[in-house]
Amino acid sequence: MFRRSGVLRRVEAPVALAVAAACLMVASLVPLTVLAAEVFSGGALRVLGDTLGEARTWALLMRSLGLSIAVTLGALAIGLPTGAVLGRTDVIGRRAAFLVLAFPVFLPPFLLAFGWFQLFGTQGLVGSAWTSGVLFGPAGLIATLALAFAPIVTAFTALGISGIDPSLEEAARAVSRPHRTLTRILLPLAWPSIALGALIVFALTLSEIGAPMFLRVRTYPAAVLSRLGGIGYAPGEAVALVLPLLAVGLVLVFIDRRLIGRRSFASLGVRSRQLTPMALGRARKPVSAAVWLLALVSLLPLGALAGQAGASGMADALDWIGPSMGTSLAASALAAGVITLVGVVVGHALARRRRGALALDALVLLTFIMPASVLGVGMVAAWNRPGTQFVYTTLAVLVLGLVARYGILGVRALDAVFHQSSPHYEEAAAAFGAGFFRRMARVVLPMHGRGVFAAWLIAFVFCMRDLDAVVVFYPPGLEPLPVRIFTLEANGPGPVVAALSVYHALLTAAVLAAGGLVLGLHGARNTKS
Amino acid sequence: MTDDRVCLALACVALAFASGCDSCDSQANEATAYTSVDQVFSEPIFRHCEEAGDLSVRSLFDTEETKSTGVLNRLIAEADHPQADVFWSGDPVRPFLLVERGLVAPYRSPNAEGLPGAFQASDGTWTGFAARARVLLVNSDLVSEADTPRSIRDLAEARWRGQTAIANPLFGTTTMHVAALFSVWGDDEAKAFLNRLRENEVRIAASNGEVKRLVVSGEVAFGLTDTDDAHEALAGGAPVRVVYPDQGDQGEQDDLGTLVMPTVAVLLAGGPHPEAGRQLIDCLLSAEVEGRMATSAAHMPLRAGVDVPEHVTALSNIEAMEVDYASVARTMERIDPWLREWVGL
Repeated sequence: MFRRSGVLRRVEAPVALAVAAACLMVASLVPLTVLAAEVFSGGALRVLGDTLGEARTWALLMRSLGLSIAVTLGALAIGLPTGAVLGRTDVIGRRAAFLVLAFPVFLPPFLLAFGWFQLFGTQGLVGSAWTSGVLFGPAGLIATLALAFAPIVTAFTALGISGIDPSLEEAARAVSRPHRTLTRILLPLAWPSIALGALIVFALTLSEIGAPMFLRVRTYPAAVLSRLGGIGYAPGEAVALVLPLLAVGLVLVFIDRRLIGRRSFASLGVRSRQLTPMALGRARKPVSAAVWLLALVSLLPLGALAGQAGASGMADALDWIGPSMGTSLAASALAAGVITLVGVVVGHALARRRRGALALDALVLLTFIMPASVLGVGMVAAWNRPGTQFVYTTLAVLVLGLVARYGILGVRALDAVFHQSSPHYEEAAAAFGAGFFRRMARVVLPMHGRGVFAAWLIAFVFCMRDLDAVVVFYPPGLEPLPVRIFTLEANGPGPVVAALSVYHALLTAAVLAAGGLVLGLHGARNTKS
Repeated sequence: MTDDRVCLALACVALAFASGCDSCDSQANEATAYTSVDQVFSEPIFRHCEEAGDLSVRSLFDTEETKSTGVLNRLIAEADHPQADVFWSGDPVRPFLLVERGLVAPYRSPNAEGLPGAFQASDGTWTGFAARARVLLVNSDLVSEADTPRSIRDLAEARWRGQTAIANPLFGTTTMHVAALFSVWGDDEAKAFLNRLRENEVRIAASNGEVKRLVVSGEVAFGLTDTDDAHEALAGGAPVRVVYPDQGDQGEQDDLGTLVMPTVAVLLAGGPHPEAGRQLIDCLLSAEVEGRMATSAAHMPLRAGVDVPEHVTALSNIEAMEVDYASVARTMERIDPWLREWVGL
């Protein structure tokens, strides 16, 4: 058998990173570069000054930034305590509450806004002119999105806390009360994870378009869409409008690097998690009640949609669902697979501070905060060519678009996962001559199998919920389920549209349940071994 | 073992792509149609055309928010390598934007013979059929018969302050309606009217469908929307009344007429399957499709002899606004910057 030389072993890691970089560049940099080149070769530089010189452009940007900050603070206010409680305490029905709370984040916010409308519209279930006035405005938008995105903070807080070395927690619990252990030890140690959650919430809010349009709140992405989906097709102006967002993205990268990235993650060490949850004592029942109340509130819009759908709507929707469910599943599974593979390489390189990883991380972050419609038009510009029809007219274009949009999830989630283990294990394997691929296959991936699968699962359900990106370039006859809901929403029978939304929720729930089962089995197997 | 798993995974990936690669070797009798007609109405028509002829239709629909312009802009973005054979437009104006750019191939369908000449291009670049109208949808629980508004000017009346809604004029048929007002009234009067709407706190909804929802739910007293949206509200048993505005029964101030908008079929230049595209257009322009659109979507047939269901007002019973669609299309592009400013985007 061929025995690899030391030189070959040394280049394995750079080669793997180069391949991952190529994937990310094909998915995100190529469309944006082609679009920019087309736009600027068409004399768009002239419109640049005009577009960015308008006061309302900057006013709208400030307004969107303000809304995004408010939503992020709201999500932190809800998600941080919930995540801390669910992550480490003996709250009643902890796992079930976590699943219920996390669920709405995997649905397009537009559907949740639609559900809230069924409740708080003037003639909603508990609606009045006042509730309607609040819902259809900035306050309603902030509340809707904060509730929708809070589970992201909850999940990252819980995951961050659960990844902390149990020895640190045991030592703290030996000398202090549980709440002090939580606030003084666990939360500060989990800060990088929490901050990442906040960053994702901010970026999602900044690029969200469906919910603000439905709740009649003017935002910056709507201004971009008006240049791409309005009467005067003006991609040049849209690209000009993206430039301030790139600046915002660079600020986020800076904040991330300076305030988050350099804070060290605690290491899991060789111990598996076998800590008993912290006892809440007399506070257990009220805290549990509060957590479950919040979980039920977050499900209210879904309940309203289910109520509107009714049995007949659920039956009729089957005539309208078409192949969209299969398209959603196939495109999301494949995209999540690519995102995870790329995330394993880039996330590992990021965790081990390899050269080039930071640049790739910045690329996926900038693509993530960019309005999805711009990425979508870039996909059309890049892939609708005679030689690339095998991409543009097939599932491949959906996969590429989703990888571009959600690449950050794989990179960041797996960066956090790999940060949890000491590099010494890999160094020990390297000392015995194991190259990069062998170290990954024999040491890193077996140690973090659950984390890698969880990253795939997160990427999968985010791809499933995507609407804003794929709606611009999905091939005829291959529309994913959220797109079908959105296009049928125009004059489609209300119960059918509501039922399709419920089917989407059920599909997501089934995927999460199956994923949870796999993670649970894997965890149980690890505990036994 | 690991190698086996990798092979299995790669095989799955290849299979998944292959399953989504129908269009890689698309059939000769397969037409690709982009449409801004509501999916709930257009998809059954495409299925009908598939069943009626040896034809397969791959379709792409617009979302409610970007109605009429999202798909149109995709056609423009794809101009260098057209993917679609047919554009079935929900209004008669946007196809002109394609004609101006040379993206349309003339086609005179034999089935267009029964359609009025006013609703088709002399050079065969577009053919109109199954029309909608712009109507006022009034919540009958909130507005008595006597107080029912009769003109679109009522949207600017102080007594309705904060109680009316229109869809975002940057998208959908509202754009065409506003452009038609600019064409008929002139810029100054139209701008003054829109500014009065803003002062009167008219709600700018995301779409005509949302205008319907706002009226049905009682969020507003009345709103400006399309007949198909109004029909959906009526079919759902909502407490609403449909008013064809500006019919001249209130004197000179409302003699503008109701804006009528035929849907339009165009054959796209350079499409992958022109013959299948023509076949699809023939089907769309048939009397049977006009009848189906009348029944399911309350669209008014343009040709004589098509049975009109009870809930559909016949074109001959409406005082239609006199507009030149080509002129409205030019106006629409011209006023776009002003409209964006008016909306605040």
